[in-house]
Amino acid sequence: MTSLRRYLAGLSHEMTPDLSWVKTANVRSELVSGQVGALLVIPQAITFAYLAGVPPVYGLYCAVFVGFLASFLGNSAMVGGPNTAVSIMLSMSVMPYAGRGSPLYVEYVLALSLMVGLIQLVIWLLRGGEVFRYFSPAAITGIKTGVGVLLITSSLEGALGLGSVRTQFFYEKFYVVISGWGDLVNPCAAVISGVTVATGLVLKPFLRRTYVVFAVLAGCVIGAGIYLYAGPVASNLELLGHVTFHAFPFMIPNLTAQHLQFVEEVFPNAVAIAVLGLAQSLVIARDLEARTGPVNLHKEVFAQGASNALAPFCSTFAGSGSFNRTSIALEMGALTPLSGIVAAVAVVVIAWGLGPLLTYVPMPAIAGILAIVGIGMIQRREIVPLLRNRVDGTVFVLTLAAVSFLGLEAGLLVAVLSSVAFFVAGVSKVQLLISEEDGAEHIHVKGNLFYASFDRLARHLRRSPAAHTVLDLSHVPFCDSAASDMIESVQKLRARHGGRLDVRPSSSPREAPTNAGSTEGRT
Amino acid sequence: MMQTVARVLCALVVLGVSVAAAARPTIEELKSRKVLDDYEANVVYGYNIVTDTSRYAARYVGNRLQCSNCHLQAGTKPHAIPLDVEGLYPKWRSKNGVRNGLGLRIRECFLYSMNGIMPPEEAPEVQAVSAYIHYLSEGQVIGRLPPGARVPMVPETGEDPNPARGETVYHRICAACHGPDGHGTAAAPPLWGPESYNAGAGMNDVRKAAGFIWANMPVGNENSLSPQEALDVAAFLHLQIRPADPRDGRLRKLMERLVHRVSELFGATQ
Repeated sequence: MTSLRRYLAGLSHEMTPDLSWVKTANVRSELVSGQVGALLVIPQAITFAYLAGVPPVYGLYCAVFVGFLASFLGNSAMVGGPNTAVSIMLSMSVMPYAGRGSPLYVEYVLALSLMVGLIQLVIWLLRGGEVFRYFSPAAITGIKTGVGVLLITSSLEGALGLGSVRTQFFYEKFYVVISGWGDLVNPCAAVISGVTVATGLVLKPFLRRTYVVFAVLAGCVIGAGIYLYAGPVASNLELLGHVTFHAFPFMIPNLTAQHLQFVEEVFPNAVAIAVLGLAQSLVIARDLEARTGPVNLHKEVFAQGASNALAPFCSTFAGSGSFNRTSIALEMGALTPLSGIVAAVAVVVIAWGLGPLLTYVPMPAIAGILAIVGIGMIQRREIVPLLRNRVDGTVFVLTLAAVSFLGLEAGLLVAVLSSVAFFVAGVSKVQLLISEEDGAEHIHVKGNLFYASFDRLARHLRRSPAAHTVLDLSHVPFCDSAASDMIESVQKLRARHGGRLDVRPSSSPREAPTNAGSTEGRT
Repeated sequence: MMQTVARVLCALVVLGVSVAAAARPTIEELKSRKVLDDYEANVVYGYNIVTDTSRYAARYVGNRLQCSNCHLQAGTKPHAIPLDVEGLYPKWRSKNGVRNGLGLRIRECFLYSMNGIMPPEEAPEVQAVSAYIHYLSEGQVIGRLPPGARVPMVPETGEDPNPARGETVYHRICAACHGPDGHGTAAAPPLWGPESYNAGAGMNDVRKAAGFIWANMPVGNENSLSPQEALDVAAFLHLQIRPADPRDGRLRKLMERLVHRVSELFGATQ
């Protein structure tokens, strides 16, 4: 009963926005990081809306409303909103049922987003956030580095004006670009993205907070020059386009029997998207824990679920935490949810105030920013220490390879599996120190004794049933019932053959085989 | 006897099935269907773009026109630049001097007639309009100009177009819907000014505009203008102020002019 009460108290605590950051936040750096985040999210939002197959403005709504709710309800500096993997999976799920970009398609995307949010809320009620504690720091660094690689490769298309070059693996794209440089690459686009990336990388050491702004500006200025000089046809530049933005796009999503049937059919996809979105968000949250202080993972799960479930009511689609925008926010000095809230509000201001100017922002400049962010996510000072440790190095390399070759979804799976595998391997290692004392064999056991780890000990004990052995379990922190049963059966075996097994109980009395004394008495 | 009847019935059934298969569903039918495949949904989306461009393709549109302001009746009216022309593409066009695919043709409409920015080839808006054009073109012969394509050629009048006469015709007939200042009303689109097509658009060509006006204007009373009146109005429209042709880089023009002026100055001093 008390546990239920505690559970319910926890839920209500996680549901109420935690505004304790109001007192501690460094308002100035949060404002700067929020504004830079807004500049960065606008092109991303439009790109991701494009990936999801919905009108561009939906991406902005996602950045504003999902971003705001995720930060407001959450308790970390994680920046939420539109996300690459979630957008792609949304479009992959809806594509077989409706034409990309058609009104029905958009309604389906909204219905699916609602479903994703509800599934995440169920995961929250079931305390699913615990699962994500198994991501080891090495796996998190592996994912971040892999996402950096993916960002750089995915920025190539926009940065070089390639049109659509589809390749299976990331290195093929480099090969295609290098081998077909003259035919594929739009020189105007390459110049703009080159200037953007160069400006960003040169200014980064000097202007740690605002270098992105200057990089965009440099790209836009060069882009405007080229556009005005050569004209739209000769330069063939892709521009951002008009951004129409309604302040209050609130509505009730269309949920007829047809929509519900669709949602039912794509339920497995909805679960996959929900888990993927949470996995990304919680990996970021885990990463933030190490940098900005404790983060309540369950509260983040609730924030994600609630913001995605409310997304269709703000006419937008589901999102999740964003690796690149969060890492930019951190570099700009964000420590609290305030920066995410500022970013969401700033998107509205920018879309209104700079709307006409935004139209002419060249896409190569935006792709250049993505490349800079990707380069920034590959941190040598995080990777090198990992490679020195055999286990961490293996987890890191496995995760990195999975993310860059198989994509983020597979990478997250490999990250969990490899983290858990190495954790289990470490836990089930049992050391047996065997010595002779007064004609009796002393076995000093170090490590956890449970069904998967006692095999060697059992074989050793059964080998000589007539011997006298003292089993020292004082360094066994955990001993499960299977291990106690095994010890008991060995004691019976020895008793039958005239041997003896004395047990010095484990330091944790609850788990130790307590009947050791009585068996000894019977022999 | 029975065999013959059976044969005839069979033939009728086959004929009926093939006719049913060839009959193309109307847009209204498509819209009322519960489930559309990717192509059909794109057709509907393309239809929406053509009839309500500023809403469905807002990202790339720069004025207050809709595609269907010139491609009348959503691109189905003959002699009003109907859109059933997929079979003519790709083709070489003197406008840009390259082989044009349908995609490039649609993108250029956004740049010139819609005075907007050029969408990329793979933009969903371009894909949807392509699908709609494909839908309209079903049954056409590849490479053959469909009947009623483009706009009719105005017959030779033996007289030059006269914009001054065109102005009086405009104010007598056209201004009722298009407004005396040409900036459009609720009933008709703007014909010049910042919210109309730019100088690079096909409609800015006097001959094409005259053919369009002659065959389609005023709405409900088509072909009421004489060929000469149509030419005069087209010439009048051509002289009005509208957004510049975006083909020439403005900065380049400015620099060319500067270089020209500077070289002239040097030439004068020598």
